[in-house]
Amino acid sequence: MTATVVLPEVPALGGLFTRGAGLSLARRVRSGPSVLPDVEYLVRGVQASSEHLTEYQHLLGESASDALPAGFVHVLAFPVATALMVRNDFPLPLVGLVHLANRVTQLRPVLLTDVLDVRATATDLRGHRSGTQVDLVTEVSVDGSVAWRGVSTYLARGLFLAGPVEESSDTFVPPTPTGRWKLDGDVGRRYAAVSGDRNPIHLSALSAKLLGFPRAIAHGMYTASRALADVGAGRGDAFAWSVEFVKPVLLPGTVTVRIARSSEDFTFAGWDARSGKPHLTGSVTSLR
Amino acid sequence: MARPTTPTTEVRRAYVLGGNRIPFARAGGPYVRASNQDMLTAAIDGLVARYGLQGERIGEVAAGAVLKHSKDFNLTREAVLGSALSAETPAYDVQQACATGLETVVSLSNKIRLGQLESAIAGGVDSTSDAPIAVSNRLRRALLDLSRAKTVGQKFAAVAKIRPKDLAPVAPNTGEPRTHLSMGEHQALTTAQWEITQAAQDEVALASHQRLAAAYDSGFFDDLVTPFRGLTRDANLRADSSLEKLAKLKPAFGLGLDTPATMTAGNSTPLSDGASTVLLGSAEWAAAHDLVPLASVIDAEAGAVDFVHGDDGLLMAPAFAVPRLLARNGLTLDDLDYIEIHEAFAATVLTTLAAWESEEFGRTRLGLDGAFGTVDRAKLNVHGSSLAAGHPFAATGGRIIATISKELHRRKVESGSDRPVRALVSVCAAGGLGLTAILEAA
Repeated sequence: MTATVVLPEVPALGGLFTRGAGLSLARRVRSGPSVLPDVEYLVRGVQASSEHLTEYQHLLGESASDALPAGFVHVLAFPVATALMVRNDFPLPLVGLVHLANRVTQLRPVLLTDVLDVRATATDLRGHRSGTQVDLVTEVSVDGSVAWRGVSTYLARGLFLAGPVEESSDTFVPPTPTGRWKLDGDVGRRYAAVSGDRNPIHLSALSAKLLGFPRAIAHGMYTASRALADVGAGRGDAFAWSVEFVKPVLLPGTVTVRIARSSEDFTFAGWDARSGKPHLTGSVTSLR
Repeated sequence: MARPTTPTTEVRRAYVLGGNRIPFARAGGPYVRASNQDMLTAAIDGLVARYGLQGERIGEVAAGAVLKHSKDFNLTREAVLGSALSAETPAYDVQQACATGLETVVSLSNKIRLGQLESAIAGGVDSTSDAPIAVSNRLRRALLDLSRAKTVGQKFAAVAKIRPKDLAPVAPNTGEPRTHLSMGEHQALTTAQWEITQAAQDEVALASHQRLAAAYDSGFFDDLVTPFRGLTRDANLRADSSLEKLAKLKPAFGLGLDTPATMTAGNSTPLSDGASTVLLGSAEWAAAHDLVPLASVIDAEAGAVDFVHGDDGLLMAPAFAVPRLLARNGLTLDDLDYIEIHEAFAATVLTTLAAWESEEFGRTRLGLDGAFGTVDRAKLNVHGSSLAAGHPFAATGGRIIATISKELHRRKVESGSDRPVRALVSVCAAGGLGLTAILEAA
C-alpha cells in the first residue's frame, strides 16, 4: 500500500536543490535503489497570491484572468514532486535530470480563490536510449475533485537502471512561422524568480558552464508556457497541453515559432531558424 | 401582425467638403523637430485658411496618432486650442493603428448623418522622427514604487531594485506585440503564400510614384496640400523612378523564408512624418458656408483577422471587410469607379487582389460561390498612394479621403450625368485590423 507523506506546506525549491545536489553526488559515486519508492506526497491548503499570479502572467504573456494559467499551477504544485525526488530512496539524481516532456490535463479552471490540495507520485521508471526516465505525476484538486493533472517526464543520462528502449525519431521540417520569441539573457533568471526553479543551468553563462552547457538555457516550462499563452483563450476551459522538449534554448536566443489552429485544436513548435532544428513541439487539445 | 417597434428613419447624408494636409516627409527629414501637435495644428490651420473657418466653432474635431506620447493625452484638443478655430470647438482623440485617420472620418460622418453634428474635422498625424521613448518596465515599476514609498527603508528598497540595464530606453518599433514579427516580416509571409513576385510589386510602386507625380504636376494637390517647413511636395516621391532602378534594390523582408525574398525598400512604405485633415459637414452647413460638397460617406465596415494563429496574413483584414461592405450595399467591384487600397507595401495591395481573384479563397474564406472579383487596375490608386506619398500612420486615412473625394467630384462634374460615381477606400492596420468605406460623388 502506498504510504502518504503529508508536508505542512509546499517546500521551497532552493532547499530541495541543495539536498538534491548532495544526494546526486552520492548517486553518481555508488548506485542507489533501482525501483521507485511507493509513496505519495501531499500538501493541503495551497493558495496562490495575486501578486505572484500577476508577475507570472506578465512574464509569460498570459491575460490577467483570475483563472490560473495551467503553467502557473505547475509552478505552484511541482515543488511537492521535487520533495519526493530528493528522498534517499529515489533512484535518480536530481542534479542533471533532463526535462524530456510534460503533459498537463486541465479538467476545469483553477481559480485564484481556490484552496488546492497537491499530491505527487513517481511512476513508470523505464529505459531510454541514453539513460533512465521517470514520470512525476502531480495532481491538484479543489474540494476533493481533481482539476489539474501534470505528468513531467525526466531523464537521467548515463544511468541505466532499466533496459534500453528503441525510439523512433521523427524528422522535423520547419513549418511556416507565425511569430518569434526574442529571449534576453535574463529570461532564465526572470522565470526562476516566478517559478522558484533556480537550477544554475538557467541563471548565468558561468553557472551553466560549470554544468556542461555553453550558455544559460531557458527553462523548458517557460517555453511551453509561452506557447500555451500564445494559444490564448482558444484553448477553452478544459484541455490537454502536451509538449516535448527536443533541444535546449541557449540564452540569449531567438526561437522561431508556429502556434496554429488545426481543426478545433492547436499545435505548436519552436525552432532555430538558422539550423532548422526544433527546440520544442506540442499541442493543446480541447477536452470539451 | 405587430408592427416593427423601431421606425425606419431616413438618415441624412454627411459630406466631405474638403481637405488639407502638409506634405509628408521622410523620417529624420525637414520635420525632424516637429511634434505631432505641431504638425496637426499646421494641417488644421491650413484647412481653416483654405475654407475661411477662422474663429469658427466646428461641431467636433477628431484626430489621432499611432505613435503617441503619454503627455499628448488630449492631442487633438490641444491642436485645436493652438489653431485659428474657435477655442469652443470640442475635440477627441482616436487611435486605431493605421486606420486611425479613416476611423475619424467614419465616426464623425456618422454623427453628422444622425444630426448630432453639423460640421466636423477629421484628421491624423504621426511622427517617427519625434517618436516617444519609454523607460523599461522594470525602471518604471521601481520609480512608481519609489513615489509610493513612505519610509526611507521603502525608498531604498525601491531604488535597490533598479539594475543598470533597466536604464536603457525603449524605442517603439513596428513589431506586433503578440508575434514579435515586424509588419514587413508578416507581409513577407503573406507575399510568399500568394506567390507575389518582386516585378509585380515594383510595378505597383512605379505606378504609385508616376501617378502621384502627375497629380502634383497637373496642380491636383494645389488645394489639398499646404507647404510646411520648406517642403512643398511629399519628400518620398521619386518622379524619375523606373523598374530598372527598383529591381536593383536588395530585399528587406522575408530573408529567412525558403521562398525568394521580394520585398524591398522600393516597394515598401518608408517611415514618415506628416498630418492630414478632412472637412466634413451636412448639406445645410455646407450651403451656409458657401462650400461645395465633394462626396458623401455612404457606409463603412471594419474587419480583423487572427494572424496570431496563422489563419490569415496580418494585413489581410480588408480582404474580408470589403466583400461584406459591398454586399450590404448591394454593390460589386464593377459598380465602383475608384478603388483606393492603402499601399502599406505593394505586396499588401497585390495579396488583397489575389485573394479576391482566388476561387478557393472566395469559397472557403469568404463563403461565396467563387472568386469575389477582379479589380480593374486603371481604377486603382489613381493619384498614387502611400508608396510614393509616404505613410505617417494616422495621417494616411485623411490623405486618401481628401484626394479621392476631390477626384469623385471632378469626375461627376465632368460626366454631367446622374449616374452615381463611387469609390472604395481600404486601409489595413496593425493588430490584424482593416477599415473600409464607400464614398459617392456629390
